[in-house]
Amino acid sequence: MGGEPAGPIDIVDHGMKFWEKQANALRNTLTSRKVVRLDELRRAAEDLGERYYELEYFERTTEALRRVLIEHGFFTEAELDAKVAEVRRRYDAA
Amino acid sequence: MKHQHDHSHDRSFDDGPPSEYEILSRAIQELLEAKGVITAEHVRRRMEQFEADFPQRGAQVVAHAWVDADFKRRLLADGKRACAEYGIDLEADRLIALENTSRVHNVIVCTLCSCYPRALLGMPPTWYKSENYRRRVVREPRAVLREFGTVIPDDVEVRVHDSNADMRYVVVPMRPGGTKGWSEERLASIITRDSLVGVTVPKP
Amino acid sequence: MTLPSAYSDASARRFNVGDRVRVKHSFPPGHRRTPHYVRGKTGVIERVCGAFANPEELAYGFDGEPKRVLYRVRFRQRDLWRDYAGPQSDHLELEIYEHWLESA
Repeated sequence: MGGEPAGPIDIVDHGMKFWEKQANALRNTLTSRKVVRLDELRRAAEDLGERYYELEYFERTTEALRRVLIEHGFFTEAELDAKVAEVRRRYDAA
Repeated sequence: MKHQHDHSHDRSFDDGPPSEYEILSRAIQELLEAKGVITAEHVRRRMEQFEADFPQRGAQVVAHAWVDADFKRRLLADGKRACAEYGIDLEADRLIALENTSRVHNVIVCTLCSCYPRALLGMPPTWYKSENYRRRVVREPRAVLREFGTVIPDDVEVRVHDSNADMRYVVVPMRPGGTKGWSEERLASIITRDSLVGVTVPKP
Repeated sequence: MTLPSAYSDASARRFNVGDRVRVKHSFPPGHRRTPHYVRGKTGVIERVCGAFANPEELAYGFDGEPKRVLYRVRFRQRDLWRDYAGPQSDHLELEIYEHWLESA
């Protein structure tokens, strides 16, 4: 990435949405408690390939976290899918 | 199974309908809580630290270094130990403090991801995490600095630090003229986060 | 040189401050912390950071032992970029693991 051609920089700090702050705190809690390693999360983000450039920062970190947690066996894809559906229903109902 | 969580603290509705990733992040957190890996309190406490504690620290440490030359020496020699002495626990961050002088201007980046001394400065700004900053500042730092309104004369070295492995970095800017006799608190108020990354310099 | 408190011992190491080193011009797959733009380039050891668990192994769930020595290496910008527009005195510094370095 370093040294590749790129455009102007948006020098304004756009801050973080609430969910991004929470995602950041979640990630940080997990690494500081050594549930997952930062190196694993970085590797999983790099492995996103082209999607790396399509996703925003916290979308990438969330996707990387999902992959590493499944690798470690904290939950299965099916369990996560079920929980995602439950969370979505709750938001839709609110 | 009826869930027990209290979601009255969810303010994400304020930001509009939740995105797919917001929902995913929420789901991951709840699953981990349900499995006893972490608690909601852990995450909440961390959010508070990032919001209220971490962002103040960098400016305080540098203001203290500006008024106390011995502390500054110790900060430059061993960033983590000097911060600990000052009452700031940098946790896992191993800190290298880089002094700007009349001959060297330092600027920091992480080209590989977004490594940043979070326990000292809080969350990195969106521009620091952007692909354009990460791509360009290593190759054309002076042009990038100009985009931030900072012009470094040719007789001053611009030294770029790519935070690519285990160290974390903070710039100790030069104390500007016109600040004689200022309290540490007043000095800290002009030490902006951007000056601690090196894209700007503090102005009185 | 006394290492700062955060740095672990690197007494068994290949390089010292001031040594000229070349970064391996190699492009192995997988997680690496050596950016492409310094691979094959020559610089000077600026400091010894200490010995750390190898991130290339940690990234895949291994323990990263034995630890590898990490150095900060200083490069002239003119040596990194053929079209570097700034002055001769501009430099770039970053951290490189010992196994990526050769004597130059």
